[in-house]
Amino acid sequence: MTADETGGAPTIPGTRPTYSGPGRLLVAAYGLLALAATARGVFQLTDHGDEAPLAYALSVLSGLIYGVATFALATDRRRLAWVAVLVEMAGVLVVGAASLAWPQDFPDETVWSHFGQGYGWVPLVLPFLGVWWLVRTRARDGQ
Amino acid sequence: VAGVIPLLVVVVAAAGLALAGWAGWFVARDRAVATIQLKWGAALEVLLVLQALWAGGLLVMGRGDVSGWLFWGYVVTQLLILPLAGLWATAERTRWSSAVLLVAGLTVAFLEFRLWQIWAWA
Repeated sequence: MTADETGGAPTIPGTRPTYSGPGRLLVAAYGLLALAATARGVFQLTDHGDEAPLAYALSVLSGLIYGVATFALATDRRRLAWVAVLVEMAGVLVVGAASLAWPQDFPDETVWSHFGQGYGWVPLVLPFLGVWWLVRTRARDGQ
Repeated sequence: VAGVIPLLVVVVAAAGLALAGWAGWFVARDRAVATIQLKWGAALEVLLVLQALWAGGLLVMGRGDVSGWLFWGYVVTQLLILPLAGLWATAERTRWSSAVLLVAGLTVAFLEFRLWQIWAWA
């Protein structure tokens, strides 16, 4: 099956679509995290948003970025995928470190606090898998 | 609250884990998702819809004191998992479609466990 038949964005010649093979599992994992983080963050903000506004806003933000990554990887939009995956990596590393350094500013869990411990470290592992996959599917002679 | 929910929780969680195990076996054997697996997945989805209706009925009758948004957030998310995973898995029939179904089955089972917690703690 070619990329045209699947209805994704036009595939860059010489590259492997990011949604093919192992990419399908990666997209599924990103989609799941997007759903989980967004739903949780929206609930927390609407139900008891004043308790930990920073943590809850970060949950929603991370959910939206996971959503962008899911969309980009599922439709072979490489540039967008790179941005989203790198923002996630920075997010989980910065927020993870900040939640350990200043625990009083994080009275409730976010997806990224403690480096994603509450989500089985998946938020920490995914961006690295994403970078690996984007490099792996890149054309050999560059693009 | 009611006697049926715990039984349903066990059945749904077991079905999710069984579907995941079946898909995992297919991953190991390098096989794509089979149509029969999708049919069993659809059967599980029917169970999930029945559960949502049952829980909704109990709540409407004022039995069960759960945080509505939290409970329905989980219910709706759980209902979305299998159809989305099925569509995504069948678009490319490789072993990775089985891996997607594996994750979906585990997720449904996990969300069922969380639903039970939310209901029981209320």
